[in-house]
Amino acid sequence: MQITKLQSNKFKTNLCALFITVPLTKENCTKNALITSVLRRGTKKLKTQEEIAKKLEELYGAGFNCGVDKLGDYHVLKFYIETLENTYTLNNENLLQEGINLLLDIVFNPLIEENAFNKSYVEQEKLNLKKLIESRKDNKALYAKERCLENMFVGESYGLYKYGTVEDLAKIDEKNLYEYYKELIKNCKIDLYITGNNIDNVKVPDISSKELPKIESHHIAPTKPNKINEVQDVTQGKLIIGLDVENSQKAAVSMYNTILGGGANSKLFQNVREKASLAYSAGSTYIRRKNAILIQTGIEIENYDKTLEIIEKQLEDMKNGNISDEEFNSAKELIVSSIELIEESKEDMVTFYFDQNLFEENLSVTEYKEMIKKVTKEDVIEVAKKVKEDTIYFLTNDNVKK
Amino acid sequence: MQIIRNDKIKESVYIETLDNGMKIIVIPKPNTNKKYIIWGTKFGSIDNHFIEPKTGKEIKVPDGVAHYLEHKMFEQENGVDSLYKLMSLGLDANAYTTNDHTAYLFGGTNNFYEGLDELMDYVQHPYFTDQNVEKERGIIGQEIGRYDDEPSWKLYINLMDCLYKNNPVKLDIAGTVESISHITKETLYDCYNTFYHPSNMIMCISGNFEPEKIVEEVKKRLLPKEKIGKIERIYPEKEYTINKKKNEQNMEVNIPIFMIGYRDILENEDNVKKQIAIEIILNSLIGKSSKLYQNLYNEGLIMAPFDFYDEFSNEYSHVVIGGQSENPEKINEKIVKTLETESVSNEDFERNKKALYGEYVSEYDDVETIGRIFLQDSIKGINSLDYINAFSKITLDYVNKIQKELFKEEMSALSIIRK
Repeated sequence: MQITKLQSNKFKTNLCALFITVPLTKENCTKNALITSVLRRGTKKLKTQEEIAKKLEELYGAGFNCGVDKLGDYHVLKFYIETLENTYTLNNENLLQEGINLLLDIVFNPLIEENAFNKSYVEQEKLNLKKLIESRKDNKALYAKERCLENMFVGESYGLYKYGTVEDLAKIDEKNLYEYYKELIKNCKIDLYITGNNIDNVKVPDISSKELPKIESHHIAPTKPNKINEVQDVTQGKLIIGLDVENSQKAAVSMYNTILGGGANSKLFQNVREKASLAYSAGSTYIRRKNAILIQTGIEIENYDKTLEIIEKQLEDMKNGNISDEEFNSAKELIVSSIELIEESKEDMVTFYFDQNLFEENLSVTEYKEMIKKVTKEDVIEVAKKVKEDTIYFLTNDNVKK
Repeated sequence: MQIIRNDKIKESVYIETLDNGMKIIVIPKPNTNKKYIIWGTKFGSIDNHFIEPKTGKEIKVPDGVAHYLEHKMFEQENGVDSLYKLMSLGLDANAYTTNDHTAYLFGGTNNFYEGLDELMDYVQHPYFTDQNVEKERGIIGQEIGRYDDEPSWKLYINLMDCLYKNNPVKLDIAGTVESISHITKETLYDCYNTFYHPSNMIMCISGNFEPEKIVEEVKKRLLPKEKIGKIERIYPEKEYTINKKKNEQNMEVNIPIFMIGYRDILENEDNVKKQIAIEIILNSLIGKSSKLYQNLYNEGLIMAPFDFYDEFSNEYSHVVIGGQSENPEKINEKIVKTLETESVSNEDFERNKKALYGEYVSEYDDVETIGRIFLQDSIKGINSLDYINAFSKITLDYVNKIQKELFKEEMSALSIIRK
């Protein structure tokens, strides 16, 4: 297990994060999602979630959280515990060490009965995960965004939903899940991040971790963008466009993305929301590890054509070098200050360094900032020229149109 | 300047009340690079009827005006939009409107004083014209539409409709497409001139600052304003019962969502102590480690802990418990019964008190949370540090008393959204 200590005197709490990383595959996706929920149900020592909850309360209301995420073509099982720094306890308790012990217990010493997970825990969590998968449509903005990505990367591992599928879930039971768990722990990369002020004296057992295979996946954008309409009972439409940015220099793509749709000075916000009053929200996100940008807008259904036209005009403008100094500089300020904020948040710090480590870039926050500072307008125009519209997704209530 | 030192959390709070009546609260955080400022006015969506202090004229404004005004504050006479200006300085700027206040804020690592120039300039220089007020109507209409599509928002508003008959807390903060159609530049100026007077405003600042110095910087940027008298707000008569027991609406949600509400009509309690007691009661009896939660979870009736919190001002007070379940009616029945018949054990009391203490201390982790909390509390006349100190004064007897008086079946209501 790789242990990374991030020392900082800015906070009153310690955050410890444990990441289990494996290649993202259709075969294992659903199992990974289910395992995180089964693990938090009970350990050898604390057999029920009631006991775990009481333990967390005794640790001054320590926060525990777990989940799964897609990071590039990897699937990451994440476990977090946040405890008060020992110095703020009322009786000088060692919350940091107790917190880490609990975190490791949850992940590595689960409740096992007759060489399987507890049957009722697995059945219960299967039901819950099924409901979670089925209710993803409730959050329209997130749903539309994820559906656009799934269509863009259809047939590739990134096109999988991070919680898996109801069909795969049906095949899982407490025995085969435990078998899979044992394999998983043997063959995954394990990272532990510890943040806080006095973190030198923590004791962590030796747990072996594997190097992951290098995954090289090349997504090729279609010659003509795929247009997808999905019909639901919504009053506001969600128009999401997936852009393929090829494997361009990441700092320049970051700048491209921010000029296009990052914040209130961006082309999308200015032209779609402010000038045309077409949307309440309009912006873009850079999915760095998949060389993709997602444009997201919430619009009136009948404004689809008009909005698409304005968005495409912005992409064209950027190709033609139509970027003002003001747009360029304010985007740079925005990125630089967001980088400076990384070390002001424990979670962002952990996320940043884990990502850097996983993809073997190993930049420090300062080095990353310097790379952004060096980006020129020409670099951004180079990126713009390579950008291709890949998928145009519309969540609408209208069956007939388009 | 008043200085309040708290040894438990090792923080100091500096409070200065200026001659013009404005309050400035500074919470220095010497080790952080992030700086945060939030400037609020006691003007929220419930303040739609008042007497203008200068003229003595009674004014009734359309619903949603506080929020509309917030939107329009950013536009400057020279065509510059201050939100963009702040963002181009690399600052994360925003504004929001709630039931009882409106706030303008920004945070970031660099360019703080340039940001302060801009913030204090735009909040003190309203620029409303017929055209620019008209233009905003479309954007706000979209925002209202977005809220109309949001099941969790509808759920909350429907619960407020159960708990209150006439209280404006039940209105949509942004108003309705119809109500905002009546807003003109005159409405906005009337409200601005009344509620954006320094005596009605509070500013909270947190980061690596020397308190005296930053207060001077703020004072330099304040425009002189004539004193005004007390603003008299007119609200409907206080209500001591609920409006109805249940609201149900159909929307596209996979699993029904619900909110249970309790009207709180206890008027003579210390709000800080009462709030802590409520948290202890709910954590002990329906929280993550409670028997009820475990049973419902194992029965498959719920899949995540309940969300609960209390909200109050002088005009309203209620407790909200929310969640997701295939059978909200059954959950409601169980919760209401548990809160009426079971009581907090001494063990639960001690453990949850400790947990709550930890949660309050960890709020001092981040300048943004600090600024927000101090503003929201001080709008209600509370000093946030009081929460840390109140723990030693809370007893199990007090908790039991609050539970008995507050969690009564006849004061509860249920809001459900399902397919």
